[in-house]
Amino acid sequence: MSKFLYLFWNKPSNWNAQSPEEMERRMKKWMGWMDSLKDAGHFKGAGERLEDTGSLVRGKAKSVTDGPYAEAKDTIGGYIVVEAKDLKEAVELSKGCPVLEGDGLVEVRPIASM
Amino acid sequence: MADFVYLFWNQKEDAQRMAKATPEDRQKITGRWMAWLEELKKKGHVKDFGAPLEFTGKMLQGAQKRVTDGPYPEIKDVIGGFSLITAKNLDEAAELAKGCPILDMGGQVEIRPIRPM
Repeated sequence: MSKFLYLFWNKPSNWNAQSPEEMERRMKKWMGWMDSLKDAGHFKGAGERLEDTGSLVRGKAKSVTDGPYAEAKDTIGGYIVVEAKDLKEAVELSKGCPVLEGDGLVEVRPIASM
Repeated sequence: MADFVYLFWNQKEDAQRMAKATPEDRQKITGRWMAWLEELKKKGHVKDFGAPLEFTGKMLQGAQKRVTDGPYPEIKDVIGGFSLITAKNLDEAAELAKGCPILDMGGQVEIRPIRPM
């Protein structure tokens, strides 16, 4: 088995603009998807949801500006680490991710061995 | 104390150059990263070392689950790794990030507060 990182990209406003009912419905979908990954042994619980705020430290001058990273149309709203046979299986497993039902994206990245 | 994730952004062209680095160069770079992270760990700021990432991958999008080559396209940077950090606040987390070796290579550290469940 190899380890992969799923990065969840979304429009930052999408999550906060929801009604509480909508938020709860989407939260349940996320939990359902992650539980199914857990039950199949692909997810051991490593992952976090991120606030829409942050900082960016850049270059030799170490300048600090407001984050998140702003060059992309989307921002990263969270990530999890999964275990899969190969990239192909990791991609297949990511297809159940609720972020794909909106206009979000999943970035699947192999974790480098140390 | 609060938890933050560091997302380490490389320029894509630097990432490609690094992929071709000699084992000696790579070891030197890894050594600098470990020295910085070990220093943070000693001070109790490292919750999880996280991991470095390969500069390949896939992107999935939309209800059709369209698969294209990753990393995230149309930007000149790529995330090369992540770590989980504990700090008093966002300002301290930014201050601690200033020692990151990626900054000497034209890279950036994105610091994001963890959203409690």
